[in-house]
Amino acid sequence: MKNNFGRFKIIVLISLILLLSVITWKATAVNAPNFLDNQNAQQEVTGVVTGLQGLPIAGVAVFIKGATKGTVTNVNGEFTIRATQGDTLVFTYLGFKPVEVVLEQESTLNIQMEEDVSSLGEVEINAGYYNTTRRESTGNISRVTAEEIELQPVISPLQALQGRMAGVEIIPGGSHPAMAPTIQIRGRNSLREEGNYPLYIIDGVPVNSTPMESNSLLSNTGIDPLNTLNLSNIESIEVLKDADATAIYGSRGANGVVLITTKKGKGGTSGLDLRFYSGTATVPNRIDLLNTEQYLQIRRQAFENDGVEPSPTNAYDLMLWDQERYTDWQDFFFGGISPITDLNVAGSGGNENTSFRLGGSYHKQGTVYPGDFDYQKVTGSFNLNHISENKKLNINLSVNFGVDDNVLAGNVNLETNAFRLPPNAPAVFLENGELNWEEWGEAGLNNPLEGFYNRSDTQSQNLVSGLGVSYHIFRNLSLKGNFGYTSFNSGEVVKRPRRSLNPAYWQNIDHSSSHLEIERKSWIIEPQLVYVKPMGKGNIEGLIGATFQESTYHQMALQGEGYVAESLIGNLTAAEQIINASSENSKYRYAAIFGRLSLDWDKKYFINFTGRRDGSSRFGPDKKWANFGAIGGAWVFSEESPFRNNGFLSFGKLRMSYGTTGSDQIGDYGYLDAYEATPGPGGLYPTQLFNPEYSWEVNKKLEAAIELGFIKNRLNLGLSWYRNRSSNQLVGYVLPSTTGFSSIQANLPATVENKGLEIEISSTNFRSKKFHWQTYFNITLPHNELVSYPGIEQSSYANIYKVGYPLNISLLYQYEGIDPEIGLYQVLDFNEDGRYGYEDRVVTRNFGRKFFGGISNNLSYKNFTLQFLWEFVKQDGTLDFFNAGHLSNQRAATYQALEENSIYQQVSASSQANTAYLRVLSSDFSVVDASFLRLRTLTFGYALPSQLLKRAGIQNGKIFLNGQNLFTLTEYEGMDPELPRGGSRFAGTRTITGGLQLQF
Amino acid sequence: MKTTAIIYKVMILVLCGFFISCEDYLEIDVPDHKIVSATVFENDEIALSALDGLYNQIAAAHFTGGGASSVTVLAALSSDILNPFYTTNLPYMEFDQHELLPDNFRNTNLWTSAYNIIYMSNALLEGVADSKSISQDVRTRLEGEAKFVRAFIYFYLVNLYGEVPLILTTDYRTNALATRNPEEEIYMQIKSDLQTAIDLLGVNYLNGERTRVNYYGAVAFMARIELYKENWEKAEILSSEVISQTGTYEILENLNEVFLANSKEAIWQLSPIGRGDNMTNTHEGANFIIDPIYSFFAQFKLNPIFVDSFATEDKRLTNWVGFHPATTYYYPYKYKIRNDTEEVTEYSMVLRLAEQYLIRAEARAMQDNISGAVSDLDKIRERAGLDLIANVDPGIGREQLLELIFQERKKELFTEWGHRWLDLKRIGNTGEVLGEAHPQWQETDVYFPIPEPELLTNPNLTQNDGY
Repeated sequence: MKNNFGRFKIIVLISLILLLSVITWKATAVNAPNFLDNQNAQQEVTGVVTGLQGLPIAGVAVFIKGATKGTVTNVNGEFTIRATQGDTLVFTYLGFKPVEVVLEQESTLNIQMEEDVSSLGEVEINAGYYNTTRRESTGNISRVTAEEIELQPVISPLQALQGRMAGVEIIPGGSHPAMAPTIQIRGRNSLREEGNYPLYIIDGVPVNSTPMESNSLLSNTGIDPLNTLNLSNIESIEVLKDADATAIYGSRGANGVVLITTKKGKGGTSGLDLRFYSGTATVPNRIDLLNTEQYLQIRRQAFENDGVEPSPTNAYDLMLWDQERYTDWQDFFFGGISPITDLNVAGSGGNENTSFRLGGSYHKQGTVYPGDFDYQKVTGSFNLNHISENKKLNINLSVNFGVDDNVLAGNVNLETNAFRLPPNAPAVFLENGELNWEEWGEAGLNNPLEGFYNRSDTQSQNLVSGLGVSYHIFRNLSLKGNFGYTSFNSGEVVKRPRRSLNPAYWQNIDHSSSHLEIERKSWIIEPQLVYVKPMGKGNIEGLIGATFQESTYHQMALQGEGYVAESLIGNLTAAEQIINASSENSKYRYAAIFGRLSLDWDKKYFINFTGRRDGSSRFGPDKKWANFGAIGGAWVFSEESPFRNNGFLSFGKLRMSYGTTGSDQIGDYGYLDAYEATPGPGGLYPTQLFNPEYSWEVNKKLEAAIELGFIKNRLNLGLSWYRNRSSNQLVGYVLPSTTGFSSIQANLPATVENKGLEIEISSTNFRSKKFHWQTYFNITLPHNELVSYPGIEQSSYANIYKVGYPLNISLLYQYEGIDPEIGLYQVLDFNEDGRYGYEDRVVTRNFGRKFFGGISNNLSYKNFTLQFLWEFVKQDGTLDFFNAGHLSNQRAATYQALEENSIYQQVSASSQANTAYLRVLSSDFSVVDASFLRLRTLTFGYALPSQLLKRAGIQNGKIFLNGQNLFTLTEYEGMDPELPRGGSRFAGTRTITGGLQLQF
Repeated sequence: MKTTAIIYKVMILVLCGFFISCEDYLEIDVPDHKIVSATVFENDEIALSALDGLYNQIAAAHFTGGGASSVTVLAALSSDILNPFYTTNLPYMEFDQHELLPDNFRNTNLWTSAYNIIYMSNALLEGVADSKSISQDVRTRLEGEAKFVRAFIYFYLVNLYGEVPLILTTDYRTNALATRNPEEEIYMQIKSDLQTAIDLLGVNYLNGERTRVNYYGAVAFMARIELYKENWEKAEILSSEVISQTGTYEILENLNEVFLANSKEAIWQLSPIGRGDNMTNTHEGANFIIDPIYSFFAQFKLNPIFVDSFATEDKRLTNWVGFHPATTYYYPYKYKIRNDTEEVTEYSMVLRLAEQYLIRAEARAMQDNISGAVSDLDKIRERAGLDLIANVDPGIGREQLLELIFQERKKELFTEWGHRWLDLKRIGNTGEVLGEAHPQWQETDVYFPIPEPELLTNPNLTQNDGY
């Protein structure tokens, strides 16, 4: 067989050479006639293109009908073109109605173009391997554009999508900058938490969406790999949701696809964009906790109730600590103000054939926590676009580079202490700024900020570069090639000076540091052939392509120990010894062939077949390949005679799609029977049972949708129903440990179903020369269910999931009220065995979102613009901190526990009371409504008068104010209803920024 | 249009070419942090590091590591030696109070990690058997040590749980459905494995480190097996063989040197370095010593009745029992280092010479060699600074002597590998000794329950009586 492959490679090589020669020959051949353009009686025509409001439009394509040559307008809307009398000049611009003018004798033409609001057809939507339009698409693709997101002071572009897209659920990571948010497109498909990442594609190049590991405070969520992207450099973000849109991504499309397109230069105009904003972020909310007087009163009552004599060991808050002192620990921990600064510069230029854009940005943001920590990022981007004179060759190069540096306090509990510390607890810092050990030590406690001088510094560099080349071989056929290279490096040092720890340990503990280096690299090559042929009233579009991708991963971790001085920490040469060193390399290869065939007829009927055959190195020898495919269809029924020219219904489309996608999101090499290095030195050991048989998770997606436009499309309505079934779940199949291990990786016939309804409405409420008002609304009603899981009772998921229920459930005890005899919380002992175990957790509560969505409004009046977005979510959450009497602060509401017949248990410091409390925390008693309506973002802008600016040589100028999380309406009494478990976690800071934007 | 047709054909060919070469393309090399099992046993060096790995994991495992879910801790709680520091610590209280529930996670840890070590031993044995290229020398070492480890683990499993599945292969399909084997069958396997180890292992320690089992380690352990099986004569011969190696092993006069790394009393120790965390103290040191200031870290304290059983002049009371004034609790202080990252000084003791003297004393007493037994027992009493039986009661009767030997085993070997718990069960007076303090005591409590998750995943497993 080897020989055969060799021969095949030679054949392929020869074919390629042949092909390239043919292309070259063809190219010269076609080029020739262009020089023979009708030169007789040509005249120069100049003019200005403006919109209805009289503002010049830059970048309008101007060409002579039937000719291949043309030009574009500059920033002042001016153009110059050579044409002959009788030629038809065509003016086209995205979102505007095209204008055709037959040239008579005039040499100046002033054109006014009208916005094409009645047609959905013009805005091109990126569908990954091809483009489509809202009108013609057969799949479900959501889209946001630069205008909607670019002013938001957030680090990850994903955060800017919150509330803007139906079916897209984004939950922020937490309160530290750069924490990875969770994104779920149409719900959770995989039983494994780590098997639910969508596919990210930046300018055609796939980027690993798994958060980067970290040893810092970010370790819980990891670091979002999109952090180093510049939000201001994003032109649009498309999210592909249904089978029709995602099946072409085959095994990577199961969890949806996020396509990010960066900005390109506009031909014919040179310009410089400058934007600067700065502001502050604060934590908008506090939990209402007991004050010192109330707290101590409750504590004293607790000892009285318990009949226990307070002693310095069990009641240091009463016996040792100041009875008058009060510290608002929430203010101490997260009452800080975090400054934000952002600067963006972009220059673009070129001519009608070549354009470029260069951009750079700097972003800095502080922390609301004590200490001197911040996050900084610098990005650079370059985009070059060239179209050959004969419009046959198109080259597009895009390079995005970002560096960030995140300095955080290392391994300190910054979250729960703020709520738990008794309000009369001693100061954390001494007056000289050092940690106060002594006073806490008297109570036998560590300073709650133990570890404060530990510092983590995480730096990452991210390069995403893509080159797209396409060549028009014949009229109907183009050859395309996409080439991509990505590199993501992150280096992290956590410094642990001894003084961060309790002096009691200093004797045995050295200064130490942890180091973590991660390198992810990948390249991709995707040759494609595109065929487009008009046939009668219809069109055929075909695409066939192949993908070769390789990703490598390298990780090195080690710890340095025994530095002689604090200033040397991190300098490994100065470490006495290096311990726990480990390194890991892995490689992933992926190959595929994919295709698309799309037919449309009479602009009414559309049908789209997509398919992919995927091979992945993550599976065992016989399981590497699988096929995925989808069919999608659309019928624009408003073109049919009963509806045509209907004044009310201006657009109507029915759409359906069905197909399969897959997921290969599991670790590399899982099928190998292999040994690995033991944590201890010099040893090897088997780390798992191996299974060469496992294979892809398969996700079958079905969608039906209707899209309607009313009154010249001033009101648009989209309604989609979907049902995705994810089966063949790749899970750890649980084994008895007599096999040596507790599980083995295998496919189980478990099925997870996500279905739901998505509604999107956009409306132009008011439109005049001076005043413009648009509203967008989206809502998603998701339903997630574990449809089947044979043998779940024996699996490690037995106490986590339940067949017939969503994945996002908790199994809880049933609250039975307060035991009248002992006055403590009581939960139902379902099986009456006198103990509380999982069999007693008979209440199943869904903590997933019942519905969610957003309403955004764009208003403009003369030079003023106002945009605001409300996000709403209906969901349940839980609340913590109502253990009155316990040695830690509690909610202010628990003060009523002192009274008879309160909803809280009797005030007590006993361990029985604490056990009862911990149990009630896992019961339906702690479940509360955590729905919210949040003013996610509000932007107010004022366009500076152009006369004023012109004198300074400025085209456009705008000042703006942006606010994030300005207002939240919720009944939830925790910190942040976006993270509604327990109540102590929060993510959304209230950020207010103001800035200036200038275009030269 | 002819050229067009040709070009199409060429392109289809090109695509096909790409596609076919994909098969090759998807074959990726094994990464450098993994070694395919077959390769492990291709050469001596890698095969030996798989053996090193086995020892490293023994030092790290719950079962053997001396930590929170180890035989040392849990069996000491179940006997009359150790109590939980906090009565709120339910998982420990269940062991202490003999109210063990099948879902106790520490019991599950114990069982699970034991079978993981058995898997590793079996994998080593299979790897060696399948290998054609490793040297005879390495082959015998691997087989000898892996079989010793397997026998060692089964000895504890059969004593803690009674009948257990006897797993001798790595095939998960059959092991997942294993049934429990009779105790006799397990003991036969233990003996046969140990005999192989005795036949194969050499007498020297590697690099002077007592962290690998040698010939005497296997003999010493066989002596214990024969004692448990009441083959007194064999037990005496085997322990005598170890005791006679006076150049290698001796009873150290200074009690504070016994648990140091490579002490001359050690027959087999585990180095904390094998765990691969950055601490150099033993788990026993970390778990047992109560910090003078930060007592809230503590998990255990010595049973005050046990502490009272020491004579005041007993040097083991002064050297091996610590006292925490603030709480007035006693704690095991055989290991002196609670928390350290500096150079390793203490190893966790698995087998030591003192036990061999006590084995021989008991075996001799059982064979009515009273003077021989007394001299062995006095060896231990002498070091403890106690009066010698030979001086104070030379005419001691057999039963009285045996009782003294058991008392001495308790005081000498406390918080080491559950000796006391296993002794009580062996002699058959667990209930007698523990029942008084624990009115809920039932005879079935001598065995721990088979962990609940095991019963859920293997339909062929049955629970022990009383659970």
